[in-house]
Amino acid sequence: MQYPVRVAVDIGGTFTDLQIHDARTGDVHAFKTPSTPQDPSIGLIEGLSGASQRYGFKLSEIGFILHGSTIATNAVLERKLPKGALLTTAGFRDVLEIGRHMRKNVYALKAEPRPLLIPRHLRFEIAERVRANGTVDTALDRGQLEQFARDLEESGAEALAIAFLHAYRNPEHELRARDFIQSALPSITISTSHEVSPEVREFERTSTTVLNALLKPVISNYLSSVAQRLAAAGVKATLYLVQSNGGVASPEEAANLPAKLLLSGPAGGAMALGQLAHQHGLTELVGLDMGGTSSDVSVVMNGVIGETQESSIDDLPVRLPMIDIRTVGAGGGSIARAETGGLRVGPQSAGAYPGPVCYDRGGQQPTVTDGNAVLGRIIPDSFLGGGMSLKVADALRSCETMIAEPLKMQATAAAEGIVNVATAHMASAIRLSLFEKGVDPVDFTLAPFGGAAGLHACAVADELGIDRIIFPSDASTLSARGMLFADLRHDLSRSELLIANDDSLARLGELVTELSDEARALLHRDGISDEKQQIEIAFDMRYRGQAYEITTPCLTIDSRTPASPVVELDNLLERFHALHEQRFAHSSPREAVEIVTVRAAAIGQLDKPELSFAVTVQELPQQSKDGKKRNVWIDGELKEIACIHRDQIVGSTKVRGPALIQEDYTILLIRDDWELSGLPNGDLNCVRSGKEQ
Amino acid sequence: MTNSKLDPARLEVIRNALIAGAEEMNLSIWRTARSTVVRETLDYSTALFDGKGQAVAQSTRIPIHLNSMSVCLDEIIANHLPLDEWQPGDVILTNDPYCGGQHLPDFVAFQPIFSGDRRVAISASIVHHVDVGGGAPGSYYAGAREVYQEGLRLPPVRLVEQGSINETVIRIIRQNSREPDKIAGDVYAQIACLKVGANAIERLIKRYNADTVVAAMDAVLDQSEAEMRSAIGELPDGEYSFQDFVDDDGQEAVGLEIDAKVTISGESCRVDLSRSADQAPGPVNCTLNMAKSGVYCALLCAAGGRAMANSGAYRPIEVVARPGSIVSCLAPAPVANRMATGHRVVTTVLGAIAKASPNTIPAAYYGVSYVAALSAPDPVVEGERRVYFEVEVGGWGAHPEADGADGFSAGFHNLANSPIEMCEKLFPITFTEYAFIPDSGGRGQFRGGLGLAREWRLDADWGVLSGNFERFRYPPYGLNGGEPGSLGRFQLTREGETTVLPSKISGIDLQRGDRVRLETSGGGGWGAAAKRDPAKREHDLKNGYISSSD
Repeated sequence: MQYPVRVAVDIGGTFTDLQIHDARTGDVHAFKTPSTPQDPSIGLIEGLSGASQRYGFKLSEIGFILHGSTIATNAVLERKLPKGALLTTAGFRDVLEIGRHMRKNVYALKAEPRPLLIPRHLRFEIAERVRANGTVDTALDRGQLEQFARDLEESGAEALAIAFLHAYRNPEHELRARDFIQSALPSITISTSHEVSPEVREFERTSTTVLNALLKPVISNYLSSVAQRLAAAGVKATLYLVQSNGGVASPEEAANLPAKLLLSGPAGGAMALGQLAHQHGLTELVGLDMGGTSSDVSVVMNGVIGETQESSIDDLPVRLPMIDIRTVGAGGGSIARAETGGLRVGPQSAGAYPGPVCYDRGGQQPTVTDGNAVLGRIIPDSFLGGGMSLKVADALRSCETMIAEPLKMQATAAAEGIVNVATAHMASAIRLSLFEKGVDPVDFTLAPFGGAAGLHACAVADELGIDRIIFPSDASTLSARGMLFADLRHDLSRSELLIANDDSLARLGELVTELSDEARALLHRDGISDEKQQIEIAFDMRYRGQAYEITTPCLTIDSRTPASPVVELDNLLERFHALHEQRFAHSSPREAVEIVTVRAAAIGQLDKPELSFAVTVQELPQQSKDGKKRNVWIDGELKEIACIHRDQIVGSTKVRGPALIQEDYTILLIRDDWELSGLPNGDLNCVRSGKEQ
Repeated sequence: MTNSKLDPARLEVIRNALIAGAEEMNLSIWRTARSTVVRETLDYSTALFDGKGQAVAQSTRIPIHLNSMSVCLDEIIANHLPLDEWQPGDVILTNDPYCGGQHLPDFVAFQPIFSGDRRVAISASIVHHVDVGGGAPGSYYAGAREVYQEGLRLPPVRLVEQGSINETVIRIIRQNSREPDKIAGDVYAQIACLKVGANAIERLIKRYNADTVVAAMDAVLDQSEAEMRSAIGELPDGEYSFQDFVDDDGQEAVGLEIDAKVTISGESCRVDLSRSADQAPGPVNCTLNMAKSGVYCALLCAAGGRAMANSGAYRPIEVVARPGSIVSCLAPAPVANRMATGHRVVTTVLGAIAKASPNTIPAAYYGVSYVAALSAPDPVVEGERRVYFEVEVGGWGAHPEADGADGFSAGFHNLANSPIEMCEKLFPITFTEYAFIPDSGGRGQFRGGLGLAREWRLDADWGVLSGNFERFRYPPYGLNGGEPGSLGRFQLTREGETTVLPSKISGIDLQRGDRVRLETSGGGGWGAAAKRDPAKREHDLKNGYISSSD
């Protein structure tokens, strides 16, 4: 085997997490190294080198690198973007700035800030108009195009977004404008709306196209830097980038459509959630990924990871298929404050810098992590694998002066209060996330991961009436594990309004054939052979007159499917009515249904190594029998509870709460009424007493 | 009562759970409702009340709804159905403006929540229904002279009696609506969400017991009261008066004055609207309930959003109005377009408070829900007709520290616009412009937000147009030397000739190729224009928000 090693790298704000699979042993290893925000590719190489030394493989033996990062996300959040321009249909350059009107702060006197990436003077208009059915109302004016090229050059913009009305239906004008400008100004990078997000609704499509245009230079530069460093280190691996849709893409594809990377940060965790569900035979699983500033909730329903067609970053809409994640502003760094007799927590966060008071980096306001430290729930000298020692006394002082004194309570009660309020925020986010999908938390198993979720999981489950928790092994690098077994994925779509009846069948067939041909071509370009190709066709459908669509799966095309796939309308409609019933509690089988968008998810299965169920994680467990005890505040009482290293929970060991379970990068609090045992693959199973599972 | 058990953290957990409960009710309506008014324009709101009928927690929705539900409940309890007669499993419903409601399309529903024999809470929802009969589709009949012409009136009735639904009432509702299936579906959605609220309260009782939950609701109300009192306390004592105008009632071209005298004394305030105009013949009248909702909204804004919107926040506020006036109309005055006056109550009260606190209150926002409707043939299904509704907004008033937001939902309502591309797929129209209007924001040291222009062309053989607008004659005011925002305008261009339309119209026949253009008003400016930072003026000029630097 020339390239037996596969590596997933998840570059976060603080740590670069790696998961390494070595086909020669079947083992999966985890590795962590500090991130290098100035140039994240340095941390990437350091992680690869460190892991290769620790786990005994050569860099030249790596076959695949699956790379997840927040580079696109951070570039947008920090506005480290090039100067960009926008070209629109005449009369509509303000669509980007007008947005959708609805405000979040209902009683504010000063309007909430609305982010805008391209100012009005860099938004240009041109005479052209395509109608809703794709026919041309006003032809594109070539003379104006020439003038625009001159204006654009003068403006000094490096990136151009082109977004014309109904271009998703007829891209002719966008293509002509793109080709003309590209030949006139070869150095400008151009994104067109029909290529980035070919879907109806002008504001969301334009916003996505603008993001893509501005990210192109950023991601191209980063990827060429990665390519150089990998080559210099002797790495010959094929590189793939993790996208928000849970699949990976080639560097060329990622550089062309970087908007697809925008919300990929939490995607790895959700992908791992899907694998967990599969490994443990669970169909309903809810993931809670608790980080420093926020927590992400993702859901597996009927064994499938929840997806959505739209989300946003910093209130900028991104209209692309992606994993559905609900974020709540409660994390380890969420700041607590006393307010007119009330105790509020978040959404303001101390982040990693200055971070919680106990980090001793200048943070002054008590955070959730400080609350946990004061309660004795974090072991101060082994935090983050011993890489950081915590100043618990400072945390206690901040809880005392900033919360306990103004609210007239004990400092430890204030600390526990902070933790409980944060827990309640997370429980609410999970409840709402499931409620809007039409399902009940009591039917779900909870999977906590990320650095901080283990301390809150039992309490969150108590709030929600959930009876079972799976604590995955290596919770702090779980996102990387999710990426390790990802597949290639392209998402294609066509927006065309059609009534779902026999008259539309021919057109639907054409659209499906068109999309699947395009999907096959893309996968072939990626070097994926026919038998590894799978194309999932789905339709966005609604009752006539509704505003929102439900994505309804239609059929799967693979190498065994006959040449012209057939859309079975009756089945499709039945599935739509059933989904509508589940999500919205009613359906109307007699009402007319319309199809708004046809989608194809082109999946290229990457080779998946045979993985024995027994995954080896980190080094061999140190078998020590004498569990230590720690004093921990729980429900207002100081209790002496067992503190056990996770590696000790093997075989038939059972741990009854209350107990602390220590790991290198995280810690679990098992509360009263909960019982913990090991699972064959290294995960831990935690059930409410009397609810044997 | 074991109030000692209620530490601040537990209170906060329960407070958040109550808000989450109201949001869950909100999602429940969205999930189960049928009509486009509810599902697309999101014209509904939800809340949880305590057992005595005080609003405690509300969803983040529409101020006009949210701040009217408690006044409505007060009216029902006082004059129609005393609380002691409410049984477990009852749902009380009304839409009657003269029994606590707003206008006929808005149904308000309440359900008591018990723990044993004790009534601990009430869940409530308000939904704008698609049609309740009357002189025009959608029950917005501009020609109405009496509420009897506006549709079905339901005094407070037990729609559900101890768990069993009164099907006769449902049949009456269906029989009176142009859209019987949709309204029935939406009524069921409105009832179902009350149960969701009850579940949220019952979960809390199970976890913390009823005493704790009741004590927490009391404490949440007290917190809001304290926040509102401290906000009012920051205003200097005194009497502050302000006047603003409603353009007309759509029937007579006479400005209708709204007059607010706000008296601040210590930590409470009295808002006297008595000198406002007499009630109008046309349907722009507000009941006292509506006017109160506007006053509360204005004060919650003046407090900068720091007081949680509930009955606790209303406690320090007294509202006085003269029965028979446009802000406390008497039956049978018509009320369908009460939003015209409601928005103006908000801008008038804020104008008065600005005199007390000139450095925190912005100039007037556009102050109207620009609603237009087009009835036209369906472009996809032959022989059918479709009704296109458009709701637009304008510019925010300039703030003493910042320019007003351009084209953004403000004040008394909170709405989303409709995607142009989707409208063009569903209706036989083609848009020709959607843009900011340069120079529409009032000039000042801080500029008012810009109004919007939205223009479309009819691509079908016929169409019938109606519209309910304001600010065509009286522009949004500026403050502290700032200039007023621009006036709104509605115009029709046919074969090259442009006609300016009045602010309130119905039944205008359109022809193929007609262009209909709405221009919404900009917000008022704040401070003298001469003091404007030249860099800001330069920025506005460069971006075309203004056309010259004069």
